[in-house]
Amino acid sequence: MSKDMRRDFTDRADLIRYVGEQFPEAAARDGRVSPIRGGRRAAEVQLNRLETHRYATTRNFLNGSVSRLSPYIRYGVLNLAQVRDWVLARATPHQCEKFVNELGWRDYWQRLYLKLGQGIWEDREPYKTGYSPQHYQDTLPEDIQSGTTGLVCMDVFSQELKIQGYLHNHARMWLAAYLVHWRHLRWQTGAKWFLEHLIDGDPASNNLSWQWVASTFGAKPYFFNRENLERYTAGLYCRRCPLYGHCAFEGSYDDLAHNLFPRNESPTAQPGRKPKAKRR
Amino acid sequence: MIRPILWVHGDCLDPQGPHFKNHPQAPALWVWDERLLAEWQLSLKRLVFIYECLVELPVVIRRGGVVAEVLTFATEHQADGIVTTASPSPLFRQYVKVLEQSLPVTILSVEPFVDYDGHIDLARFSRYWRVAQAYAFKGDLNDSK
Ligand SMILES: Cc1cc2nc3c(=O)[nH]c(=O)nc-3n(C[C@H](O)[C@H](O)[C@H](O)COP(=O)(O)OP(=O)(O)OC[C@H]3O[C@@H](n4cnc5c(N)ncnc54)[C@H](O)[C@@H]3O)c2cc1C
Repeated sequence: MSKDMRRDFTDRADLIRYVGEQFPEAAARDGRVSPIRGGRRAAEVQLNRLETHRYATTRNFLNGSVSRLSPYIRYGVLNLAQVRDWVLARATPHQCEKFVNELGWRDYWQRLYLKLGQGIWEDREPYKTGYSPQHYQDTLPEDIQSGTTGLVCMDVFSQELKIQGYLHNHARMWLAAYLVHWRHLRWQTGAKWFLEHLIDGDPASNNLSWQWVASTFGAKPYFFNRENLERYTAGLYCRRCPLYGHCAFEGSYDDLAHNLFPRNESPTAQPGRKPKAKRR
Repeated sequence: MIRPILWVHGDCLDPQGPHFKNHPQAPALWVWDERLLAEWQLSLKRLVFIYECLVELPVVIRRGGVVAEVLTFATEHQADGIVTTASPSPLFRQYVKVLEQSLPVTILSVEPFVDYDGHIDLARFSRYWRVAQAYAFKGDLNDSK
Protein backbone atom coordinates (compact mmCIF):
# COMPACT_ATOMS: atom_id res chain seq x y z
CA MET A 1 0.00 0.00 0.00
CA SER A 2 1.30 3.43 -0.82
CA LYS A 3 1.06 6.03 1.89
CA ASP A 4 -1.33 8.91 1.79
CA MET A 5 -0.03 12.01 0.09
CA ARG A 6 -0.34 15.41 1.69
CA ARG A 7 -3.54 17.44 1.48
CA ASP A 8 -2.80 20.46 3.63
CA PHE A 9 -0.55 23.21 2.39
CA THR A 10 0.29 26.62 3.79
CA ASP A 11 0.04 28.23 0.35
CA ARG A 12 0.43 27.58 -3.38
CA ALA A 13 4.23 27.68 -3.19
CA ASP A 14 4.14 24.97 -0.53
CA LEU A 15 1.92 22.79 -2.73
CA ILE A 16 4.13 23.35 -5.78
CA ARG A 17 7.25 22.45 -3.80
CA TYR A 18 5.63 19.26 -2.56
CA VAL A 19 4.39 18.19 -6.00
CA GLY A 20 7.87 18.85 -7.39
CA GLU A 21 9.40 16.62 -4.71
CA GLN A 22 6.87 13.86 -5.29
CA PHE A 23 7.27 13.91 -9.06
CA PRO A 24 10.96 14.66 -9.49
CA GLU A 25 11.08 13.32 -13.06
CA ALA A 26 8.49 15.87 -14.18
CA ALA A 27 10.18 18.65 -12.22
CA ALA A 28 13.54 17.75 -13.79
CA ARG A 29 12.09 17.94 -17.31
CA ASP A 30 10.63 21.39 -16.69
CA GLY A 31 10.15 22.93 -13.26
CA ARG A 32 7.82 25.69 -14.42
CA VAL A 33 4.24 25.98 -13.23
CA SER A 34 1.29 27.68 -14.92
CA PRO A 35 -0.48 30.68 -13.42
CA ILE A 36 -3.75 28.82 -14.17
CA ARG A 37 -5.09 27.57 -10.85
CA GLY A 38 -6.88 24.30 -10.31
CA GLY A 39 -10.06 23.67 -8.34
CA ARG A 40 -13.76 24.43 -8.40
CA ARG A 41 -13.35 27.84 -6.80
CA ALA A 42 -10.97 28.96 -9.53
CA ALA A 43 -13.34 27.47 -12.11
CA GLU A 44 -16.21 29.55 -10.80
CA VAL A 45 -14.12 32.71 -10.85
CA GLN A 46 -13.34 31.99 -14.50
CA LEU A 47 -16.99 31.23 -15.28
CA ASN A 48 -18.04 34.57 -13.81
CA ARG A 49 -15.69 36.35 -16.21
CA LEU A 50 -17.38 34.91 -19.26
CA GLU A 51 -18.71 37.51 -21.70
CA THR A 52 -21.12 35.41 -23.70
CA HIS A 53 -22.42 38.35 -25.74
CA ARG A 54 -18.91 39.15 -27.07
CA TYR A 55 -17.89 35.54 -27.65
CA ALA A 56 -19.26 34.90 -31.13
CA THR A 57 -17.78 38.01 -32.75
CA THR A 58 -14.39 38.01 -31.01
CA ARG A 59 -13.50 34.37 -30.34
CA ASN A 60 -11.21 33.99 -33.35
CA PHE A 61 -9.00 36.86 -32.23
CA LEU A 62 -6.16 36.12 -29.86
CA ASN A 63 -7.39 38.85 -27.54
CA GLY A 64 -11.04 37.85 -27.99
CA SER A 65 -13.51 36.96 -25.25
CA VAL A 66 -12.93 33.26 -25.00
CA SER A 67 -13.85 31.53 -21.76
CA ARG A 68 -10.58 29.80 -20.83
CA LEU A 69 -12.69 27.19 -19.10
CA SER A 70 -11.07 24.27 -20.93
CA PRO A 71 -8.82 23.09 -18.05
CA TYR A 72 -11.82 22.87 -15.72
CA ILE A 73 -14.02 21.20 -18.29
CA ARG A 74 -11.25 18.77 -19.17
CA TYR A 75 -11.13 17.41 -15.62
CA GLY A 76 -14.85 17.56 -15.01
CA VAL A 77 -14.42 20.26 -12.37
CA LEU A 78 -17.24 21.81 -14.37
CA ASN A 79 -19.25 19.71 -16.75
CA LEU A 80 -20.66 20.80 -20.09
CA ALA A 81 -24.26 20.80 -18.85
CA GLN A 82 -23.38 23.07 -15.93
CA VAL A 83 -21.58 25.53 -18.20
CA ARG A 84 -24.41 25.45 -20.73
CA ASP A 85 -27.03 26.03 -18.03
CA TRP A 86 -24.97 28.88 -16.62
CA VAL A 87 -24.83 30.74 -19.95
CA LEU A 88 -28.45 30.02 -20.84
CA ALA A 89 -29.52 31.53 -17.53
CA ARG A 90 -27.74 34.78 -18.39
CA ALA A 91 -28.30 35.32 -22.10
CA THR A 92 -30.80 34.38 -24.76
CA PRO A 93 -30.29 31.04 -26.49
CA HIS A 94 -29.54 32.97 -29.65
CA GLN A 95 -26.75 34.96 -27.96
CA CYS A 96 -25.29 31.71 -26.65
CA GLU A 97 -25.53 29.85 -29.91
CA LYS A 98 -21.87 29.93 -30.90
CA PHE A 99 -20.60 29.22 -27.42
CA VAL A 100 -22.89 26.23 -26.92
CA ASN A 101 -21.87 25.01 -30.37
CA GLU A 102 -18.23 25.06 -29.20
CA LEU A 103 -19.17 23.10 -26.09
CA GLY A 104 -20.71 20.69 -28.57
CA TRP A 105 -17.28 20.11 -30.08
CA ARG A 106 -16.06 18.72 -26.81
CA ASP A 107 -19.10 16.48 -26.47
CA TYR A 108 -18.57 15.29 -30.02
CA TRP A 109 -14.90 14.39 -29.48
CA GLN A 110 -15.76 12.61 -26.22
CA ARG A 111 -18.40 10.53 -27.97
CA LEU A 112 -15.89 9.62 -30.66
CA TYR A 113 -13.35 8.69 -27.98
CA LEU A 114 -15.84 6.29 -26.45
CA LYS A 115 -16.27 4.71 -29.85
CA LEU A 116 -12.67 4.73 -31.07
CA GLY A 117 -10.67 4.18 -27.88
CA GLN A 118 -6.95 4.00 -28.66
CA GLY A 119 -7.94 4.43 -32.31
CA ILE A 120 -7.74 8.18 -31.75
CA TRP A 121 -3.95 7.71 -32.11
CA GLU A 122 -4.31 6.20 -35.59
CA ASP A 123 -4.96 8.07 -38.81
CA ARG A 124 -8.72 7.93 -39.20
CA GLU A 125 -8.45 8.49 -42.95
CA PRO A 126 -5.63 8.90 -45.50
CA TYR A 127 -3.89 12.28 -45.65
CA LYS A 128 -5.32 14.57 -48.32
CA THR A 129 -1.99 16.33 -48.75
CA GLY A 130 -0.63 14.15 -51.52
CA TYR A 131 1.81 12.55 -49.07
CA SER A 132 1.77 9.11 -47.49
CA PRO A 133 2.03 8.76 -43.69
CA GLN A 134 5.67 7.63 -44.07
CA HIS A 135 6.55 11.03 -45.45
CA TYR A 136 6.08 12.65 -42.07
CA GLN A 137 8.88 12.67 -39.52
CA ASP A 138 8.62 11.40 -35.93
CA THR A 139 10.94 13.76 -34.11
CA LEU A 140 9.88 17.16 -32.87
CA PRO A 141 12.46 19.57 -34.33
CA GLU A 142 14.79 21.13 -31.76
CA ASP A 143 14.04 24.69 -32.88
CA ILE A 144 10.34 24.08 -32.18
CA GLN A 145 11.02 22.73 -28.71
CA SER A 146 13.27 25.62 -27.86
CA GLY A 147 11.19 28.25 -29.66
CA THR A 148 14.05 29.38 -31.89
CA THR A 149 12.67 29.03 -35.40
CA GLY A 150 13.04 32.77 -35.99
CA LEU A 151 9.32 33.04 -36.75
CA VAL A 152 8.19 35.25 -33.90
CA CYS A 153 4.62 33.89 -33.91
CA MET A 154 5.60 30.23 -33.70
CA ASP A 155 8.33 30.88 -31.15
CA VAL A 156 5.90 32.74 -28.90
CA PHE A 157 3.31 29.96 -29.23
CA SER A 158 5.92 27.36 -28.31
CA GLN A 159 6.93 29.37 -25.24
CA GLU A 160 3.33 29.97 -24.20
CA LEU A 161 2.56 26.30 -24.50
CA LYS A 162 5.44 25.46 -22.20
CA ILE A 163 5.04 28.31 -19.72
CA GLN A 164 1.27 28.85 -19.56
CA GLY A 165 0.09 25.41 -20.59
CA TYR A 166 -2.61 27.18 -22.56
CA LEU A 167 -2.92 28.39 -26.15
CA HIS A 168 -5.81 30.13 -27.83
CA ASN A 169 -7.63 27.84 -30.26
CA HIS A 170 -6.37 29.77 -33.27
CA ALA A 171 -2.76 29.55 -32.04
CA ARG A 172 -3.17 25.78 -31.62
CA MET A 173 -4.41 25.56 -35.20
CA TRP A 174 -1.56 27.67 -36.60
CA LEU A 175 1.12 25.87 -34.64
CA ALA A 176 -0.26 22.44 -35.52
CA ALA A 177 -0.59 23.39 -39.20
CA TYR A 178 2.96 24.78 -39.25
CA LEU A 179 4.32 21.58 -37.75
CA VAL A 180 2.44 19.19 -40.01
CA HIS A 181 2.35 21.05 -43.33
CA TRP A 182 5.48 23.18 -43.30
CA ARG A 183 7.74 20.98 -41.15
CA HIS A 184 6.26 17.63 -42.18
CA LEU A 185 5.90 16.34 -38.64
CA ARG A 186 3.67 13.36 -37.94
CA TRP A 187 0.61 14.74 -36.20
CA GLN A 188 0.98 12.12 -33.45
CA THR A 189 4.32 13.63 -32.40
CA GLY A 190 2.85 17.11 -32.24
CA ALA A 191 -0.18 15.83 -30.37
CA LYS A 192 2.00 14.16 -27.75
CA TRP A 193 3.96 17.37 -27.27
CA PHE A 194 0.74 19.33 -26.71
CA LEU A 195 -0.57 16.75 -24.24
CA GLU A 196 2.58 17.02 -22.18
CA HIS A 197 2.04 20.74 -21.67
CA LEU A 198 -1.59 21.78 -22.16
CA ILE A 199 -3.34 22.06 -18.81
CA ASP A 200 -6.54 21.15 -20.67
CA GLY A 201 -4.69 18.36 -22.50
CA ASP A 202 -7.32 15.85 -23.47
CA PRO A 203 -6.58 12.85 -25.69
CA ALA A 204 -9.79 13.15 -27.68
CA SER A 205 -10.05 16.93 -28.20
CA ASN A 206 -6.35 17.17 -28.85
CA ASN A 207 -5.70 14.20 -31.12
CA LEU A 208 -8.80 14.58 -33.20
CA SER A 209 -8.12 18.30 -33.65
CA TRP A 210 -4.60 17.44 -34.81
CA GLN A 211 -6.10 14.92 -37.21
CA TRP A 212 -8.46 17.57 -38.50
CA VAL A 213 -5.54 19.94 -39.16
CA ALA A 214 -3.51 17.15 -40.77
CA SER A 215 -6.49 16.05 -42.94
CA THR A 216 -6.64 12.50 -41.57
CA PHE A 217 -10.03 13.40 -40.11
CA GLY A 218 -11.59 15.78 -42.58
CA ALA A 219 -11.80 16.47 -46.26
CA LYS A 220 -8.92 18.94 -46.54
CA PRO A 221 -5.77 19.95 -44.73
CA TYR A 222 -6.03 23.10 -42.65
CA PHE A 223 -3.45 25.77 -43.43
CA PHE A 224 -3.25 29.53 -43.23
CA ASN A 225 -1.29 32.46 -44.59
CA ARG A 226 0.47 35.42 -43.00
CA GLU A 227 -2.44 37.73 -43.67
CA ASN A 228 -4.78 35.46 -41.71
CA LEU A 229 -2.41 35.20 -38.77
CA GLU A 230 -1.64 38.91 -38.81
CA ARG A 231 -5.33 39.79 -38.81
CA TYR A 232 -6.39 37.62 -35.90
CA THR A 233 -3.35 38.57 -33.82
CA ALA A 234 -3.76 42.27 -34.65
CA GLY A 235 -0.21 42.19 -36.00
CA LEU A 236 1.24 41.52 -32.58
CA TYR A 237 3.94 39.11 -33.82
CA CYS A 238 4.28 40.14 -37.45
CA ARG A 239 5.14 43.72 -36.48
CA ARG A 240 8.28 42.65 -34.71
CA CYS A 241 9.21 39.72 -36.92
CA PRO A 242 12.45 40.08 -38.88
CA LEU A 243 11.01 37.70 -41.46
CA TYR A 244 8.03 39.94 -42.16
CA GLY A 245 7.29 40.08 -45.89
CA HIS A 246 9.29 36.95 -46.68
CA CYS A 247 8.27 34.37 -44.11
CA ALA A 248 7.06 30.86 -44.84
CA PHE A 249 3.44 31.96 -44.62
CA GLU A 250 3.59 34.66 -47.27
CA GLY A 251 1.39 34.40 -50.32
CA SER A 252 -2.08 33.65 -51.48
CA TYR A 253 -3.82 30.46 -50.48
CA ASP A 254 -3.44 29.12 -53.99
CA ASP A 255 0.32 29.77 -53.97
CA LEU A 256 0.71 28.17 -50.59
CA ALA A 257 -1.39 25.14 -51.57
CA HIS A 258 0.81 24.73 -54.62
CA ASN A 259 3.99 24.90 -52.54
CA LEU A 260 2.82 22.82 -49.60
CA PHE A 261 0.98 20.11 -51.49
CA PRO A 262 2.68 19.91 -54.89
CA ARG A 263 1.67 16.29 -55.33
CA ASN A 264 -1.99 17.16 -55.25
CA GLU A 265 -2.78 17.51 -58.92
CA SER A 266 -5.84 19.56 -58.25
CA PRO A 267 -5.19 21.22 -54.93
CA THR A 268 -8.02 20.36 -52.61
CA ALA A 269 -6.59 22.09 -49.62
CA GLN A 270 -8.98 24.58 -48.24
CA PRO A 271 -7.68 27.91 -47.07
CA GLY A 272 -8.23 28.83 -43.48
CA ARG A 273 -9.28 32.41 -43.72
CA LYS A 274 -13.03 31.96 -43.49
CA PRO A 275 -14.59 30.79 -40.27
CA LYS A 276 -16.26 27.89 -42.02
CA ALA A 277 -13.05 26.35 -43.25
CA LYS A 278 -10.95 27.52 -40.37
CA ARG A 279 -13.25 26.41 -37.66
CA ARG A 280 -14.57 23.14 -38.94
CA MET B 1 -24.17 -1.57 -1.90
CA ILE B 2 -24.24 -0.51 1.71
CA ARG B 3 -20.62 0.41 2.35
CA PRO B 4 -19.06 1.50 -0.93
CA ILE B 5 -15.86 3.41 -1.46
CA LEU B 6 -15.60 6.09 -4.15
CA TRP B 7 -12.94 5.89 -6.81
CA VAL B 8 -12.37 9.41 -8.09
CA HIS B 9 -10.59 9.80 -11.44
CA GLY B 10 -9.52 12.61 -13.73
CA ASP B 11 -12.77 12.99 -15.64
CA CYS B 12 -14.83 14.15 -12.67
CA LEU B 13 -13.08 16.41 -10.18
CA ASP B 14 -16.26 18.27 -9.32
CA PRO B 15 -16.90 18.53 -5.54
CA GLN B 16 -20.59 18.31 -6.45
CA GLY B 17 -20.13 15.29 -8.71
CA PRO B 18 -22.75 12.53 -8.55
CA HIS B 19 -20.51 10.18 -6.55
CA PHE B 20 -20.03 12.76 -3.79
CA LYS B 21 -23.68 13.79 -3.89
CA ASN B 22 -25.06 10.25 -3.73
CA HIS B 23 -22.54 9.01 -1.17
CA PRO B 24 -21.53 11.94 0.99
CA GLN B 25 -20.21 9.70 3.79
CA ALA B 26 -18.28 7.20 1.67
CA PRO B 27 -14.48 7.22 1.83
CA ALA B 28 -13.04 8.46 -1.47
CA LEU B 29 -9.73 7.71 -3.16
CA TRP B 30 -7.66 9.30 -5.94
CA VAL B 31 -4.75 7.33 -7.35
CA TRP B 32 -1.89 8.89 -9.28
CA ASP B 33 -1.62 6.19 -11.90
CA GLU B 34 2.03 5.09 -12.28
CA ARG B 35 1.25 3.68 -15.69
CA LEU B 36 -0.20 6.93 -17.00
CA LEU B 37 2.52 9.01 -15.42
CA ALA B 38 5.14 6.97 -17.28
CA GLU B 39 3.22 6.93 -20.53
CA TRP B 40 2.13 10.55 -20.72
CA GLN B 41 5.17 12.30 -19.27
CA LEU B 42 2.88 14.99 -17.93
CA SER B 43 4.60 18.25 -17.15
CA LEU B 44 4.80 19.61 -13.61
CA LYS B 45 2.27 22.32 -14.44
CA ARG B 46 -0.34 19.72 -15.31
CA LEU B 47 0.36 17.77 -12.13
CA VAL B 48 0.09 20.93 -10.00
CA PHE B 49 -3.23 21.84 -11.61
CA ILE B 50 -4.68 18.40 -10.86
CA TYR B 51 -3.32 18.50 -7.32
CA GLU B 52 -5.01 21.86 -6.74
CA CYS B 53 -8.29 20.31 -7.86
CA LEU B 54 -7.77 17.34 -5.54
CA VAL B 55 -7.18 19.32 -2.37
CA GLU B 56 -10.66 20.82 -2.73
CA LEU B 57 -12.18 17.33 -2.75
CA PRO B 58 -12.74 15.01 0.22
CA VAL B 59 -10.32 12.39 -1.13
CA VAL B 60 -7.38 10.38 0.10
CA ILE B 61 -4.53 10.83 -2.39
CA ARG B 62 -2.24 7.90 -3.18
CA ARG B 63 0.07 6.79 -5.93
CA GLY B 64 0.55 3.38 -7.56
CA GLY B 65 -1.30 0.92 -9.74
CA VAL B 66 -4.95 1.98 -9.89
CA VAL B 67 -6.57 -1.42 -9.49
CA ALA B 68 -4.34 -2.52 -6.60
CA GLU B 69 -4.73 0.77 -4.76
CA VAL B 70 -8.51 0.87 -5.16
CA LEU B 71 -8.86 -2.70 -3.92
CA THR B 72 -6.54 -2.07 -0.96
CA PHE B 73 -8.55 1.00 -0.04
CA ALA B 74 -11.77 -1.01 -0.31
CA THR B 75 -10.37 -3.67 2.03
CA GLU B 76 -9.22 -1.04 4.52
CA HIS B 77 -12.77 0.25 4.68
CA GLN B 78 -14.43 -3.16 4.49
CA ALA B 79 -16.30 -1.93 1.47
CA ASP B 80 -18.86 -4.01 -0.38
CA GLY B 81 -18.54 -2.15 -3.64
CA ILE B 82 -16.96 0.65 -5.63
CA VAL B 83 -18.71 3.75 -6.95
CA THR B 84 -17.19 5.88 -9.67
CA THR B 85 -18.23 8.15 -12.53
CA ALA B 86 -18.27 7.44 -16.25
CA SER B 87 -15.27 8.11 -18.47
CA PRO B 88 -14.75 7.60 -22.22
CA SER B 89 -11.16 6.45 -21.66
CA PRO B 90 -10.41 2.88 -22.79
CA LEU B 91 -8.11 2.45 -19.80
CA PHE B 92 -11.02 3.25 -17.49
CA ARG B 93 -13.07 0.45 -19.00
CA GLN B 94 -10.11 -1.89 -18.63
CA TYR B 95 -9.70 -1.01 -14.95
CA VAL B 96 -13.41 -1.42 -14.26
CA LYS B 97 -13.36 -4.87 -15.81
CA VAL B 98 -10.57 -5.99 -13.50
CA LEU B 99 -12.10 -4.34 -10.43
CA GLU B 100 -15.39 -6.12 -11.11
CA GLN B 101 -13.66 -9.45 -10.62
CA SER B 102 -13.30 -8.52 -6.94
CA LEU B 103 -16.16 -6.15 -6.13
CA PRO B 104 -19.28 -4.76 -7.80
CA VAL B 105 -18.70 -1.41 -9.52
CA THR B 106 -21.40 1.22 -9.96
CA ILE B 107 -20.69 3.82 -12.64
CA LEU B 108 -22.60 7.08 -12.23
CA SER B 109 -23.09 9.57 -15.05
CA VAL B 110 -22.89 13.31 -14.80
CA GLU B 111 -25.77 15.25 -16.23
CA PRO B 112 -25.52 14.87 -20.02
CA PHE B 113 -24.95 17.84 -22.29
CA VAL B 114 -27.09 16.17 -24.93
CA ASP B 115 -29.84 14.17 -23.27
CA TYR B 116 -30.59 11.83 -26.13
CA ASP B 117 -30.09 8.07 -26.21
CA GLY B 118 -30.83 7.39 -29.85
CA HIS B 119 -28.31 6.89 -32.64
CA ILE B 120 -26.19 9.86 -33.63
CA ASP B 121 -24.01 9.73 -36.73
CA LEU B 122 -20.50 10.75 -35.62
CA ALA B 123 -18.86 10.69 -39.04
CA ARG B 124 -18.60 14.49 -39.03
CA PHE B 125 -19.42 17.19 -36.47
CA SER B 126 -22.09 18.68 -38.72
CA ARG B 127 -24.05 15.44 -38.68
CA TYR B 128 -23.72 15.12 -34.92
CA TRP B 129 -24.78 18.74 -34.39
CA ARG B 130 -27.81 18.41 -36.63
CA VAL B 131 -29.25 16.00 -34.07
CA ALA B 132 -27.54 17.25 -30.91
CA GLN B 133 -28.25 20.97 -31.16
CA ALA B 134 -31.92 20.82 -30.12
CA TYR B 135 -31.01 18.73 -27.06
CA ALA B 136 -28.03 20.91 -26.18
CA PHE B 137 -30.35 23.93 -26.08
CA LYS B 138 -33.11 21.91 -24.43
CA GLY B 139 -35.33 22.94 -27.32
CA ASP B 140 -34.92 26.65 -26.55
CA LEU B 141 -32.96 27.78 -29.59
CA ASN B 142 -35.74 27.59 -32.14
CA ASP B 143 -38.24 29.12 -29.74
CA SER B 144 -36.21 32.31 -29.46
CA LYS B 145 -35.55 32.90 -33.13
C1 LIG C 1 -4.36 21.27 -32.41
C2 LIG C 1 -5.42 21.47 -31.36
C3 LIG C 1 -5.31 20.83 -30.13
C4 LIG C 1 -6.31 21.00 -29.16
N1 LIG C 1 -6.18 20.34 -27.96
C5 LIG C 1 -7.15 20.48 -27.02
C6 LIG C 1 -7.05 19.80 -25.77
O1 LIG C 1 -6.09 19.05 -25.52
N2 LIG C 1 -8.03 19.99 -24.86
C7 LIG C 1 -9.10 20.79 -25.11
O2 LIG C 1 -9.96 20.94 -24.23
N3 LIG C 1 -9.23 21.43 -26.29
C8 LIG C 1 -8.29 21.30 -27.24
N4 LIG C 1 -8.42 21.96 -28.45
C9 LIG C 1 -9.66 22.70 -28.72
C10 LIG C 1 -9.65 24.19 -28.37
O3 LIG C 1 -8.51 24.80 -28.89
C11 LIG C 1 -9.71 24.44 -26.85
O4 LIG C 1 -10.74 23.69 -26.25
C12 LIG C 1 -9.97 25.92 -26.57
O5 LIG C 1 -9.01 26.71 -27.20
C13 LIG C 1 -9.93 26.18 -25.07
O6 LIG C 1 -10.04 27.53 -24.77
P1 LIG C 1 -11.37 28.14 -24.14
O7 LIG C 1 -11.74 27.35 -22.92
O8 LIG C 1 -11.17 29.59 -23.96
O9 LIG C 1 -12.41 27.84 -25.28
P2 LIG C 1 -13.81 28.53 -25.63
O10 LIG C 1 -13.71 29.01 -27.02
O11 LIG C 1 -14.22 29.49 -24.59
O12 LIG C 1 -14.82 27.31 -25.65
C14 LIG C 1 -15.53 26.86 -24.50
C15 LIG C 1 -15.26 25.40 -24.25
O13 LIG C 1 -15.72 24.61 -25.35
C16 LIG C 1 -14.83 23.51 -25.58
N5 LIG C 1 -14.23 23.68 -26.92
C17 LIG C 1 -14.15 24.80 -27.66
N6 LIG C 1 -13.58 24.53 -28.86
C18 LIG C 1 -13.32 23.22 -28.86
C19 LIG C 1 -12.76 22.33 -29.83
N7 LIG C 1 -12.39 22.75 -31.05
N8 LIG C 1 -12.60 21.04 -29.49
C20 LIG C 1 -13.00 20.59 -28.27
N9 LIG C 1 -13.55 21.39 -27.33
C21 LIG C 1 -13.71 22.67 -27.62
C22 LIG C 1 -13.76 23.59 -24.52
O14 LIG C 1 -14.11 22.74 -23.45
C23 LIG C 1 -13.80 25.06 -24.12
O15 LIG C 1 -13.35 25.26 -22.79
C24 LIG C 1 -7.43 21.81 -29.43
C25 LIG C 1 -7.52 22.46 -30.67
C26 LIG C 1 -6.53 22.30 -31.62
C27 LIG C 1 -6.66 23.00 -32.94
